Amino acid sequence: MKRKLTLTHDPIAESVPQTSEGMGAVVTFHGVVRGTEDGEAITAIDYEANEEMALHQFGLIFDAIEKRWPVESVQLAHRLGLAPAKEASLRVEIIAPHRTEAFEACQFLINEMKDKVPIWKRPQ
Amino acid sequence: MKVVVKFWSYFRDYTGCEETTIEMNDGTTLADLITSVHEQFPKLAGTEKYTLKAVGVDYQDDDYVLNDGDEVSLFPPVQGG
Repeated sequence: MKRKLTLTHDPIAESVPQTSEGMGAVVTFHGVVRGTEDGEAITAIDYEANEEMALHQFGLIFDAIEKRWPVESVQLAHRLGLAPAKEASLRVEIIAPHRTEAFEACQFLINEMKDKVPIWKRPQ
Repeated sequence: MKVVVKFWSYFRDYTGCEETTIEMNDGTTLADLITSVHEQFPKLAGTEKYTLKAVGVDYQDDDYVLNDGDEVSLFPPVQGG
């Protein structure tokens, strides 16, 4: 495991998204294309979606998040087509008052996506 | 009535087409339609246990009664992320 630890009096370098007063947690998750699939080396994953249904199903998941946690914003981008190994296939950003709800909502969103959103992959 | 059936992911490899239009009697359920689809595309045999079914953009159960012009999607388990 590589380690890097910094205690600093300067602003932390990574940019923080604009948040409203009272929002204390920003959770960002990147899903990255691995270089192997089922033990075989791959160069990319080709993602296919039923786009209209995927947008609708993501909307239902966002609705469920809004009902369950006091989340200020959810952003999600999923790659379609050919995504090379080591590039991001998924990015999620959730802003909430506290880390617990931000992490829980992020985990819920990804779990629900993997169960309901019609996106498929073909390793290349 | 006519129903359009769309195939996604590797189900298209089994059917050799992206979609087909099937004529059914009024009152046909999703389960009835899938039986007809499997008769037309025998290579789909064995996929029944894990096939996901949607009408339009919403998932539906086998007992869903279809309407003329419905667009049905059949696909394997999803794999986003």
